[in-house]
Parts: sequence; C-alpha cells; structure tokens
Amino acid sequence: MSKQTIYINSIASTLPDTQDSPEFVPGKQVSIQEPDYKTLIPDATLRRRMSRIVRMGVATGMQCLNKFPNAPVDAILTATGYGCLGDTEKFMNTLLDNHEQMLTPTAFIQSTFNTIGAQIALLSKNHGYNNTYTHRAFSFESALLDAILLLREEEASNVLVGAIDEMTPTVYEILKRLGLWRNALAGEGANFAILSTTAIPESYAVLEGIELFNGTYSAAEIQERIHNYLVQKEEKNVTVLFPSDYKKICGEYPTAMAYAFNTCCKHLQSGEIKTPILVYNTFLGNHSFIFLKPV
Amino acid sequence: MEQLIQELKASLIEALNLEDITPEEIENNAPLFGEAGLGLDSIDALEIILILERNYGIRIANPAEGKEIFYSVQTLADYITANRKQ
Repeated sequence: MSKQTIYINSIASTLPDTQDSPEFVPGKQVSIQEPDYKTLIPDATLRRRMSRIVRMGVATGMQCLNKFPNAPVDAILTATGYGCLGDTEKFMNTLLDNHEQMLTPTAFIQSTFNTIGAQIALLSKNHGYNNTYTHRAFSFESALLDAILLLREEEASNVLVGAIDEMTPTVYEILKRLGLWRNALAGEGANFAILSTTAIPESYAVLEGIELFNGTYSAAEIQERIHNYLVQKEEKNVTVLFPSDYKKICGEYPTAMAYAFNTCCKHLQSGEIKTPILVYNTFLGNHSFIFLKPV
Repeated sequence: MEQLIQELKASLIEALNLEDITPEEIENNAPLFGEAGLGLDSIDALEIILILERNYGIRIANPAEGKEIFYSVQTLADYITANRKQ
C-alpha cells in the first residue's frame, strides 16, 4: 500500500444553531440549522418520502458533492451510529398498533441504515462502490478507514465520506434514563467530506492518521496515549482537541467526531489554526484519534 | 359523502407525506397517479391499499380493478361507500 497523501477537498455540515460556547445545560438538545431541502433535493416525490435524517444526510452529501465539481467521486461511504431512528420508530409503532398486520412500506424501506448513501448515489447518478458503516462510535472512523484503504490502494481517487445521526424524542428519553445526558448536551448532525489523492487550490487539510481503541482509561492514560501517538508521528507543536472542546457546541452523538473533523478542516484551511491538529473522541468506551495537518 | 372525501384527503396527505398540499388543493375528480394529477406512484398505491384495509375494512379482491378505483379521490370514495365494512 502506497503512503499516498490524502487531501480533504470538500466539506459540508449541518451546523449547530450556535457556534459559540453557550451556557452548558446538561441534557439540553442542540438544535441544528437545516439546509434548504427543496433546492438540494428538487424531486418532490423523492423528498416527501424522506424522513428528517434522510433529508439532512442527502442534502448535506449533495452540498458536499456540489462544492467539488472537479470530478465524480469513485465511492460513497456513509456512517451512522443510531441509523434512521424516526423511520424505525414509525415502523415499529405501526407493527405494534396494527398487531403485526398491514404494515406500510415507506417507513420500512427508509429505515434501513444505507438509505442515505443509496439516495445520494441515485441523485448524483453514481454507480461506484457504496457502503455504510454502523459501528456505534466507530462508524465515522470506520468509513474513514475504508476511504483511506480505497485511496491508498489506488482503487479510488475521490471518495465521499459522511456521517449522520438524528435525535428523536423517544431515543432522547431512553438515553436520559440511561444517564447519558448527566454531563452532556444531546446532539445530532450530518457531516460530509470528500477525500482525494490530489490537492486542489481549495484543499482544506491533509489526513495524516487515524487510531481506534476500546476500553476504560483515566484522563492521565489518555494523555499518555496522545503523547505516544505524537512521538510516533514525530510531531511536537500540535493542537489537541478534546471532546469537551467541540461537544459543548455539537452535543453528544455517536458520530460527533465527523463534526469535529469538518470543523478542524475549516480552521486549517482558513489558517485560524496553523499547527497540525489531533482530535480525540470518546463515546461509551470507544476512543479514537484523527490527525490532520495543514496542506 | 363529503365527509368521507375530506377524511380520505386528510389520510392521503398524512400517509403519503404530501408536504405543502392542503385538502382543498386536491380536486375530487383529478387523477391521483401520473404527471397530470398528484403524481403518485406504485409505492403510494400500496399505502392507499393499506388505508382502505385499515380504515374501512376493504380488501381489493381483483387487482385489475385498481386502476379504476384509484383514479381519483371521488372514485375511491365511491368504492368505499359501496364496499365498506367498518
């Protein structure tokens, strides 16, 4: 496998309503700015069948593709920790209400995890490799790993990678009972990026590395692990982003790392951050590092 | 009949997620399927079959009749009036 440099050439995100650090209220639900769906998904029949997460994901994915007119992408990779919750809930409730009889087809069809990747492929007429990762907090990272492999093995030159998660009132309550909101904001979002083997004038950043690990670690152990990772990368002047830095804005959700990833890309492109960035994420025992550098 | 038509329009809007369409905008005799009318398709037809079965206890025994029954809100209402079991 070649040590091919991987550039991030396009990004698109649904942004939380406030980009500042609002007053921290545990359990508060982060509201996001949703894009103009009618412009991005002009087919009314297609649009009306899409639930909120599908619209959010498809519109953000299409935005990301539209910002990168250079070439078609060779692969579409999506990631979701929770899946299409709204449609799943609708389908399950119909199942209960109608005693497992007379089930409506639309909610079932749209509740599958790969709906968003498939709809983006249909809308952009993309017949390439299409895969969806549903590995809890490693979903986005797994899609990113697949993209790295495709690019480094020269099976692809441009790959669309995205992560989508939604919060519904039912899941909010379930996670509240499990105590997830004791020290966290409830988040959701859609974040997409195009990874390429060639730089363009608008390139945001270079993806330098990714590491995943499981288990329970103290803050000191995580610090040590970050230190060892940076020693191995031979980097000293690095900005380290911890979950508390970005989750106070985007909230907690399995693919919050994708929001941090896009935010860092933006800061690296604008020059707001001039050093390489190591982003650390943790969610229910899953831990990950993503290492980004300026172009 | 008028009450049934209004009820049907509301059910169609809800089940088919016809965003931005009000019951008043659906003409009683306008075709439901195809470009000339509401632009519904075969998946919508499945949803309508379920509305008939769930809300009115009607099972369409002969699929060949579907084209006529599903032509418009009015033809649907006529069929329901003649065949409803609940």
